Amino acid sequence: MDHSAFPAIDIDRLHVSYGSQPVLHGVNLSVAAGEFIAILGSSGCGKTTLLRTIAGFQKATDGAIRLFGRDVVNMPPEKRGMAMMFQSYALWPHMTVLGNVGYGLRLRGIARDEIRQRVAAILKMLNLSGLEDRKVTNLSGGQRQRVALGRALAIEPEILLLDEPLSNLDAKVRIQLRSEIKSLQNRLGFTAIHVTHDREEAMTMADRIVVMDAGRIAQIGSPKEVFDHPSSPFVASFMGAENTIALDVRPAADGVEVSVENGRSASWNGSGVMGPVTAYFRDDVASLDDPDALIDGSIILPGRITQRTYPGGHYRYVVAIKDRHFTVTDDRYHELDRAVGLRLPLASLHLFPTLETPGETHA
Amino acid sequence: MTRPSFFGLILIAPALAMIAALFLYPLGFSLVSAFTVPGGGFSLTHFEKAIDLYSTDILFTLFIVILSTLLTAAISIAIAGALTLGETPWLIASLRFLYRWPLFIPFIVAAQCMRTFLAKNGLMNNSLVAMGVLEPLQTTSFLDWRGIVITFVWKQVPFVTLMLAGAMASIDRATIEAGRNLGASRLRVLFEIVLPQVTQTLLVGLVLSFVTMLSVLSVPMMVAGSQPTMMTVDMAFRINSYGDYATANALGVISYAIAGAVAWIYLRHNVKREVGA
Repeated sequence: MDHSAFPAIDIDRLHVSYGSQPVLHGVNLSVAAGEFIAILGSSGCGKTTLLRTIAGFQKATDGAIRLFGRDVVNMPPEKRGMAMMFQSYALWPHMTVLGNVGYGLRLRGIARDEIRQRVAAILKMLNLSGLEDRKVTNLSGGQRQRVALGRALAIEPEILLLDEPLSNLDAKVRIQLRSEIKSLQNRLGFTAIHVTHDREEAMTMADRIVVMDAGRIAQIGSPKEVFDHPSSPFVASFMGAENTIALDVRPAADGVEVSVENGRSASWNGSGVMGPVTAYFRDDVASLDDPDALIDGSIILPGRITQRTYPGGHYRYVVAIKDRHFTVTDDRYHELDRAVGLRLPLASLHLFPTLETPGETHA
Repeated sequence: MTRPSFFGLILIAPALAMIAALFLYPLGFSLVSAFTVPGGGFSLTHFEKAIDLYSTDILFTLFIVILSTLLTAAISIAIAGALTLGETPWLIASLRFLYRWPLFIPFIVAAQCMRTFLAKNGLMNNSLVAMGVLEPLQTTSFLDWRGIVITFVWKQVPFVTLMLAGAMASIDRATIEAGRNLGASRLRVLFEIVLPQVTQTLLVGLVLSFVTMLSVLSVPMMVAGSQPTMMTVDMAFRINSYGDYATANALGVISYAIAGAVAWIYLRHNVKREVGA
């Protein structure tokens, strides 16, 4: 079968409802063969529903799912030929490691001896050699999820679905398994869709990130694109730019002039939206400066230091600007209550037109 | 630390007394009566008599109860499996609504209904004739061993299904989905993934059903009056017609032995599981 002409997964105007409650409102997504896609979103955004619909556990109300050009939207899960990893590991407690990893091969009618050989090879790849006859209930969390990975990979799937498989593991094992899955994917070349609410996990593993919000795709792009150029305030704040300030952007002789509520302004040679805007920024773009400094391309917000902690390597300060508080890190030691300027480089801010809705919060 | 255990004994004393008076004493009495002759000495004459007169009925009882237990298991697995793995909501809802009804119907009422349903000119045969499946001359009465088995299965399936469906509902759904995801049909998922995780519950349900069916008097008496019949009918007959408690008690001990053997199989399975785990 010639696969190359088609995307591995092509999702076309997919609608899913739970009863009368619509969950996905027309999702379009095309995944190339061998690509690693992370679906990122807060809980309830529909990311798990999307994955379960691809796997066939959730019925679509409308739209198509094509795997290498073949529409599977009405096919039962067992006919779709994918493999999946679950948050709860979902290992079968009544079987040994061999039984679990070899089950998919047994379903495919492969001889017992060959199953043993192939399982041994997979366990070796996952550093689980010699555990074939161990009960899965006697394994640690990390080992269990490795067995689950082995079970999924044993059938040599073209598509691997990952439903938050790392979120039950402790931090160290999580990071280790993250890189193992990624390197196995590079080596074996399967297409992967990984659902997660962990931004860093999505950033480090995926070729492309899909950010979902309320049953729709908010943005698709490479990790750098989504991180540096969020397409909406939602994506910006989801990618960590959770601080906001209101600014006013006006055309000036040389570029634009950006002013803050209190009247201070800075000229900037950037361009983009005009008028009242809301700027979204991450903690790490802000820095401390002199409260009266005037720097082109940066705005300075005068405030006071109200809190200082030393998490290691640098100091972390909380700066109060009027009734708002911002966190900023700085290498130097400053006394509490000192007047400082919070410096925000305009190029690092994400500017979006301020919505005219009443009750808009700036917190 | 004698004081706490002393108080503990006082606390459980009323319960212990109840068990001793209402269970242990009659049990011991019937055991003694089964193994002694009126003069007072130990004897197996009652057993010789029981086996002499009723060995066919003992085998018949075993046959009925084992067959009913096996059929109950098969049907309960089918219903609980459909409830767990089914994908047609209205079908599951109606099955869930219907299957429990026999739970609330006493054995004697069930037996009474079966008499009119399974008779030669009963509802079942009349319906089959009306549908053209049978000719009127081909109809036969099911009021023999088949009637007993049908009544027992009809009565015990809801009980075992209730336990089994509950256990199946509480296993991790993702283990089912993982199986289907790797390519297992729903039937294979039922037998290779779901059922092995609920064997314990299935066994408990079947052991309890087995013992219940072993001790029912009304069904064999009402559904199949003729010979051979079940041991409970024989025991009632020995007592009511002859006042022969000794032989009835001997038959009772044989019943205990059969129930005990089943309990032993269940316990052995438990121990094996614990060793394996």
